[in-house]
Amino acid sequence: MVLKTRNQYRTVEVIIQNKPLARDPEGETIHRNLVLKGGYDLVTGVRAGKLLRMTVQAESGQEAENIVRRLCDDLRIYNPVAHSCEVRIVGKEDRITE
Amino acid sequence: MPQVAVVQYPGSNCDLDALEVLQKIVRVKTDLVWHKQLTHDNYDGYILPGGFSYGDYLRAGAIAAHSPSLKIVREAAKAGKPVLGICNGFQILVEANLLPGAVLRNANLRFICKWINLRVDNNKTPFTRKMKMGQLLRVPIAHNEGRYYLEPEQIQTLEKNGQVVLRYADNKGDTTMDANPNGSLENIAGICNPDHNVMGLMPHPERASQSELSPYNNAEGRLIFDSMIETIRERNEGRR
Amino acid sequence: MTVLEEIQKPNLTREEMEYAVRKLGRQPGSVEWAMLEAEWSEHCSYKSSRQVLKQLPTKGPRVLVGPGYDAGVVDVGEGWVITLHIESHNHPSAIDPYGGAATGVGGVVRDILSLGTRPIALLDPLRFGKLDSPHSRWLFENVVRGIGEYGNCIGVPTVGGEVEFDESFERNCLVDVVCVGLGKKKDLVMADADTLGDLVYLVGGSTGRDGIRGASFASRVLTEKSDTERSAVQVPDPFAKKLIIEAVLEAVNSGLVRGMKDLGGGGITCALSEMAAKGGTGMRIELDKVRKREPDMHAAEIMISESQERMALVINPKMEDRLIQTLEKYEIPYSRIGTVTNDGQLTITMGGDIVASAPSRFVAEAPLAHHSSRKPVYIDKLEKTNHPDAPKDLGRTLLRLLASSNIASKEWIYRQYDHEVGIRTLVKPGDADSAHLRLPNGKRLAITIGGNSKRCYLDPYWGSVGAVSEALCNLAATGAQPLAVVDHLQFGNPNNPEVYWTFKETVRGITDYLTAVKVACVGGKVSFYNEDAETGTAIKPSPVISAIGLVEKQTRLIREAFTGKGNDVIIVGETGPEMGGSEYYEHIHRVTGGTVPRVRLKTEKKLLAAIVRTLRSNLALSAHDCSKGGLAVTLSEMAIKSGRVGFKVDLDKLPGKAGRIDEKLFSESPSRFILETERRKTNRVIRSFRRAGILAGKLGETTDDQHLSFGDRMQTFRLDLSEASDIWGRTISEIMEVRSQ
Repeated sequence: MVLKTRNQYRTVEVIIQNKPLARDPEGETIHRNLVLKGGYDLVTGVRAGKLLRMTVQAESGQEAENIVRRLCDDLRIYNPVAHSCEVRIVGKEDRITE
Repeated sequence: MPQVAVVQYPGSNCDLDALEVLQKIVRVKTDLVWHKQLTHDNYDGYILPGGFSYGDYLRAGAIAAHSPSLKIVREAAKAGKPVLGICNGFQILVEANLLPGAVLRNANLRFICKWINLRVDNNKTPFTRKMKMGQLLRVPIAHNEGRYYLEPEQIQTLEKNGQVVLRYADNKGDTTMDANPNGSLENIAGICNPDHNVMGLMPHPERASQSELSPYNNAEGRLIFDSMIETIRERNEGRR
Repeated sequence: MTVLEEIQKPNLTREEMEYAVRKLGRQPGSVEWAMLEAEWSEHCSYKSSRQVLKQLPTKGPRVLVGPGYDAGVVDVGEGWVITLHIESHNHPSAIDPYGGAATGVGGVVRDILSLGTRPIALLDPLRFGKLDSPHSRWLFENVVRGIGEYGNCIGVPTVGGEVEFDESFERNCLVDVVCVGLGKKKDLVMADADTLGDLVYLVGGSTGRDGIRGASFASRVLTEKSDTERSAVQVPDPFAKKLIIEAVLEAVNSGLVRGMKDLGGGGITCALSEMAAKGGTGMRIELDKVRKREPDMHAAEIMISESQERMALVINPKMEDRLIQTLEKYEIPYSRIGTVTNDGQLTITMGGDIVASAPSRFVAEAPLAHHSSRKPVYIDKLEKTNHPDAPKDLGRTLLRLLASSNIASKEWIYRQYDHEVGIRTLVKPGDADSAHLRLPNGKRLAITIGGNSKRCYLDPYWGSVGAVSEALCNLAATGAQPLAVVDHLQFGNPNNPEVYWTFKETVRGITDYLTAVKVACVGGKVSFYNEDAETGTAIKPSPVISAIGLVEKQTRLIREAFTGKGNDVIIVGETGPEMGGSEYYEHIHRVTGGTVPRVRLKTEKKLLAAIVRTLRSNLALSAHDCSKGGLAVTLSEMAIKSGRVGFKVDLDKLPGKAGRIDEKLFSESPSRFILETERRKTNRVIRSFRRAGILAGKLGETTDDQHLSFGDRMQTFRLDLSEASDIWGRTISEIMEVRSQ
């Protein structure tokens, strides 16, 4: 008999940006020199950041989020002195493995 | 009298270097043209210099490619005039679709500044006509995003059209992995368009045009500029 | 004096507050207190160090501007000048190494730009804890990345530097940056605002609440935004800096700028009070005209904000249109914020009301802070340390030293720095003891660093003398005549009498050395409070010296690498058994103690001149001065850099009092050089040194047997050139590239 296990996974996105009131030279430059000069003046602001998308084995979104938050702090994925770190669950899947 | 322009973008920083080499070593009339002031195709050839236009924000060359000056550069390219993009200049030409492919972050994810060897794989372009096939040029690279990439199917077309001009090679002229500083596909360091009059390369020939600046006491970099000016002279004469 | 509410007391001493009330003739208002707190901070005012620094020699034949301005200025002939400055960003780098180091580069570049000169080179002397600590590796990795990305982006080559690893820097890394500028003498812009009616422009970045930390008076009283929303460290923007560099230089070259100052620590307050004080004038400033980045900013916040990339320009009103044209070409934001007055007052208005008015000199000149000093007990104790036994396997010891992070190749660092941009760099990082840049007048500028915290800990006086000597020897080893130095003096808390004593001894040492060799100190910085708040452990005293020298064009470029076999290896200088602070003691024996090497002040000038003369006469093929690791490492480096040339030396021929073989090999006695000479020139070279009263002798020969061979009458040992080269070459990158497999 083959044993099958069903595992739950969550897709978690981590977005790292400069803190809200800190300057964001990249976002500002893209906004000023590309977006506005390109004629898209309805766009009033641009912020740049880094996106990491992680797949985490977890039974709940909360559990996945906790794991990722801990990981981000532990491994210095972002520097709390300069960056903000948003963590959000964007997907869920079941996988059956033998 | 040949006349070339070095186009300056906000953040270009090898513009003065290119100007110095063109004026003092190659001895051709050269103007530094601020990109906003390039409104007419008044020159025989154009150089887009190295640097960090717009801080390399978003992607190297991505913002500068939208400069109105590119309209003039496109016109000049269409008219068959030689256009040379060095480092950031190459990235701008790629972003502006004047050259195919993409230039990505170095494979080792670090900025690299060192002298390397280039092998001449096409010596019939306006920029390499004064070189021999297979000749090795020693020039420095200095970049963070230098990894040339193209869809594998398109590489074949590039090679068939003779658009691969320069490759990273070792001292024997072999395009080994060790000789490839940034992971560029097929060790490609410099390419040109199908008409061969627009070339982009990541290494800096203007830094290898005077022997006292080279750890090897060579000045092979200037051959690129010499070739370009010779082409211009020929074109001018042909038109008279 | 009425009692301010506890929460509203500025961060000043009682004496300073009483002095303020006395001098002003009244209670300062809240904005004025904020200004004083900023300008009278240690960082801006040098209140704890000014008096002691006065002893440094600051004048010299080519010195145009000494300390007191944004940078020192030296005349290099034919109408050209070189500017030189050193800055640090220690505290910010300790918590945000990338941003702190990058903005540190930004800061020193602004100082060079303030005099109207173009920044043409950077050097980065760095100090971290030991690399077996993940925290130190994290700092090192990101500091190098920060310096590289900023310097590369603005197009200024980083041509040299140094890095020292020691436990005392684990929690307090030191990130120093040196910048060299080039310009025409006639275009020099002094910081003074000296003409009534001139306009004051603020150009560059907008003003936010950056730098207003919890400890500052302004933040306690006036703002409530929590630290989570604001970055504790400035965000670097090298693209903005690059535009400012080009715009300012264009304005300067068109003669549009009369006075200029960059805004660094203490923001608008420091920049404007200092400009007006120097010019003997006042200024009337309208804060409403200052471009702001955050809403509802209070006057005090605007006055002390440390937002990046801002410059203050003082111009003749007739030049206004042309300045605006230049600024708009580069799309640099600007605003006219005030005018120069002749009432000597700094008058600040907002919303039509005067919010502060005080004499500019009063604001700019902080009262001196007095500190007591006391020699630490450990100094005499450690000097008496017993000499450890020499290890049996000297070859293995040498290999261990070559592999130690303080000695191993630093190529991992400088490969990340563009050292070629500007096409001036003739002698590149790793080639020689100093970098060489070509100048427009055909001459060459040599530039280098000196520093050794381990020695300064054991003996601040002799350690500091040694640091300056190291810098000047680095110049001499490439044939350069010294022009000037700048110094960065870094210590713990000056309120600790023992720390203050080491500071005074350091300045005394630097003064005595510069006086003996007749070289001026044209600027520098002092950075106190480099200590761990929790444990109270201070860093080892760390004076860092940067020296510049001049070379006439005719001299061949001299590098460290041996050039070929069959040449003679000559030692110049005396080797003594002074092992205190040496890498041999600290790294191999783990001993902190012993006598620190002493420079012979009486003969130093003569020695340096003799080396320069010899190299200029093309009598040497290669040259290297002896420093960390001693003679054994110096010789090994010369062989390693050649790639193929080995050597064989006889240590019995070594001049000096060092007796034991480990002393001869690893002593770090100062002012020693190894020269490689053609056999037929050797006697001539040695004779010319001896005639000048300098010890010199043939030590051995270069070979092609691929070995590094040492011996005396009792023993010999040798290393494989390729093994030594391999281990020296890959240590740092192996430690730092653990990830990539």
